[in-house]
Amino acid sequence: MASSLSPPEKASYHHRHSKRYSSSTNGNVESSSVSDFIKRPKISPQNYISCSEIESEFSHHDPEFARINNGSFGCCPSSILALQRDWQLRFLRQPDRFYFDELKPKISDSRSVIKRLINADHDDEVSIVDNATTAAAIVLQQTAWAFREGRFDKGDAVVMLHYAYGSVKKSVEAYVTRSGGHVIEVQLPFPVNSADEIIDRFRIGLESGKANGRRVRLALIDHVTSMPSVVIPIKELVKICRRECVDQVFVDAAHGIGCVDVDMKEIGADFYTSNLHKWFFAPPSVAFLYCRKSSNGGVPDLHHPVVSNEYGNGLAVESSWVGTRDYSAQLVVPSILEFVNRFEGGIDGIKKRNHESVVEMGHMLVKSWGTQLGCPPEMCASMIMVGLPACLGVSSDSDVLKLRTFLREKFRIEIPIYFTPPGDGEIDPITGYVRISFQVYNKPEDYHRLRDAINELVRDGFRCASLSG
Amino acid sequence: MESDERRNGDSMSHNHRAPKKPRLVGLLSESDIDSEFAHHQTGVARINNGSFGCCPGSVLEAQREWQLRYLRQPDDFYFNGRRRGLLASRTVISELINADDVDEVSLVDNATTAAAIVLQKVGRCFSEGKYKKEDTVVMFHCAFQSVKKSIQAYVSRVGGSTVEVRLPFPVNSNEEIISKFREGLEKGRANGRTVRLAIIDHITSMPCVLMPVRELVKICREEGVEQVFVDAAHAIGSVKVDVKEIGADYYVSNLHKWFFCPPSIAFFYCKKRGSESDVHHPVVSHEFGNGLPIESAWIGTRDYSSQLVVPSVMEFVNRFEGGIEGIMIRNHDEAVRMGLMLADAWGTNLGSPPEMCVGMVMIGLPSKLCVESDEDATKLRSYLRVRYAVEVPVYFLGLRDGEEGVKDKDSGLITAYVRISHQIYNKTEDYERLRDAITELVKDQMTCQNLPSV
Repeated sequence: MASSLSPPEKASYHHRHSKRYSSSTNGNVESSSVSDFIKRPKISPQNYISCSEIESEFSHHDPEFARINNGSFGCCPSSILALQRDWQLRFLRQPDRFYFDELKPKISDSRSVIKRLINADHDDEVSIVDNATTAAAIVLQQTAWAFREGRFDKGDAVVMLHYAYGSVKKSVEAYVTRSGGHVIEVQLPFPVNSADEIIDRFRIGLESGKANGRRVRLALIDHVTSMPSVVIPIKELVKICRRECVDQVFVDAAHGIGCVDVDMKEIGADFYTSNLHKWFFAPPSVAFLYCRKSSNGGVPDLHHPVVSNEYGNGLAVESSWVGTRDYSAQLVVPSILEFVNRFEGGIDGIKKRNHESVVEMGHMLVKSWGTQLGCPPEMCASMIMVGLPACLGVSSDSDVLKLRTFLREKFRIEIPIYFTPPGDGEIDPITGYVRISFQVYNKPEDYHRLRDAINELVRDGFRCASLSG
Repeated sequence: MESDERRNGDSMSHNHRAPKKPRLVGLLSESDIDSEFAHHQTGVARINNGSFGCCPGSVLEAQREWQLRYLRQPDDFYFNGRRRGLLASRTVISELINADDVDEVSLVDNATTAAAIVLQKVGRCFSEGKYKKEDTVVMFHCAFQSVKKSIQAYVSRVGGSTVEVRLPFPVNSNEEIISKFREGLEKGRANGRTVRLAIIDHITSMPCVLMPVRELVKICREEGVEQVFVDAAHAIGSVKVDVKEIGADYYVSNLHKWFFCPPSIAFFYCKKRGSESDVHHPVVSHEFGNGLPIESAWIGTRDYSSQLVVPSVMEFVNRFEGGIEGIMIRNHDEAVRMGLMLADAWGTNLGSPPEMCVGMVMIGLPSKLCVESDEDATKLRSYLRVRYAVEVPVYFLGLRDGEEGVKDKDSGLITAYVRISHQIYNKTEDYERLRDAITELVKDQMTCQNLPSV
């Protein structure tokens, strides 16, 4: 089946020439803010995506499951998957021509869309990579070089949150510790009651980083921590870093775009990465790494670790060709904007409703189980931590993994669980928290099933200790 | 099918295989092959399998099933299906290449990634003082450009030096290559230096030559080269690959070029050593430190489906007479036959004798085309693509002072070669179209200088 001109071509044409955006006639969007760019067409409510259309878009999800873990692997609607397949076929059809004529300009298109979404100044500041894990390797490799080449003194510090993602911690070990950097982990409280608690602890962490005349060369801060999940007061922390003369700030916002507000100029970090396949409906996998241009137009010397013939042409260009790969996930990005704009309020509307729903469901569970949330509603986005009844006897990381497997296999519920050791002298401590996510495909029944499953376990006198494995 | 198993009381976590389709039996006919590659653009003489490879429709379908399986319930797949699926692929490959242990086989995105892994390790040895500054890395001058850049990024940056061995081309025998290589090793050892790494292509890319890789590795061992990395991007599905026989420390080959996998997947073989080998995937995940195969099996959320279809590809190739060996032999024989046809028609030459070719052959272009630079070669390639619907890479051979070069039937110097590929979807007409296109250009007195831009 020789394919005719495929939808991706039409879609990107539509983007460049659509009257939706406050654009000039030549298609360049001069937007001063994120909201200008994502201005939605005047769709009347009848033309918004309907509930049954949403169901249809996610009909490839396993219907048996209460899929309340969008945070881990995200989701991708079938209309985007179809467009992705078109891109795959376009390459397979005549790969040389695609490589020489289409790939680079189309990746540039995706970068432009992202640049405007995140309110970056220049396209050069936006590179597309596979995922936040890759972005971390890129930034940390740069830090390692500085240690190895003597620009940083051995023992200078890298400060990160104790709740930093496991892969990022390993990356810090592989690149920073190995090249002579000193790593400081800032302990954060959990459960947490206010942003101030985090800010105070962070200040203390920075202080210890600067002890003994050291410099803090890099602060690595999550925008939304993974486990336990909390929205970090990132703007304030970046300001503190600037005041305390931290060389560079790298924000790991794996759960950023589509989850929280992502505005590069407002946040003010040097590096910022976010996955698009978690909360922005991209297929696996695509992320952006933003690298702020300095006032004199310079960019830090970052390189993609998979070195190709594009080495030295700037990170964005290096990342656009890392050898023969399937780049289709990166190419559908412009089409995703069309998808989110079928919802009332576009991506902002989706974020708002996800947040309201997840808080509502969180409260519902707390009430039913007699437990508590892990943080106040204003410190969560589209995920929230909900305490499990203490009587379940969650007492280790191994327990939560086994309990998660049990919920999956017996109840067809997919939910990550977090173990937090009890505080000294705590009576009936809540040591297990589920992290519930809410995305457009979720329904209250999903959370009712979780509620009822846990209540059933409680009624049956269930203990984690009884689980094998 | 999966829900049936659950109703029978089996836990879904035990169902690790992709849903089984009705198995196709019997050898593929020519029209079956046409159908498998129906997604290729019609009307194009696609004689460049070497660059981006190909993937048959039935393997693409198998890939889609894996993709959907992940999308359907990604957590379950992450915890239960993924590792077993990747192990199955690695096991197939390990047997195919005669590795001792499946733990020697990692799956990575492509050869470019494997090069970064090896060179990062070498770079660390320089940085950490294990190697002396000026110790050398030896490679061929026609090493793939990405590999050269990787050396620059990881080795030159920390003070390591490089020695480039010039590949004689056109080449007539293995001995020509071997003697040049020996010279290169000597240079690498001059002034008390140690050759820390030799990078040898199993099949060079441009110009394309099948190298005497076993002999070259043997020489490396004899001459005290510390590590040997064979960049065999084109090898699997092109030539027999026996990693024990070849004897390198590291060996990488892309499966999406000649082994019918979708983009992209390569296997990276690391010979087991007594001590910790300190190779790591540059994209560090929580699996860091668990050995390269495990590190590579999880480099963050990705679409791993192209790495999961290897067993399906084996099913596909076994529907050909002689399996993958039969395919390799036929590709080689046809590529040579077409190469000789073209050289005869144009009055030029082959870049190497048939026994030093695989499913790819270099054929000299008529001197009258006046290809005088890399830009000319690119221009000609684009012209052939746009005006004649012929996809073939063109190589400009820059002769150095003192090199004689080869003349064509018009007594002009041959300065450029096309690299034709033959894969199972190709037909004789593809090469006839190239033959006629070049013949017409010469007849019309077109040169790279007067060729219009397209």
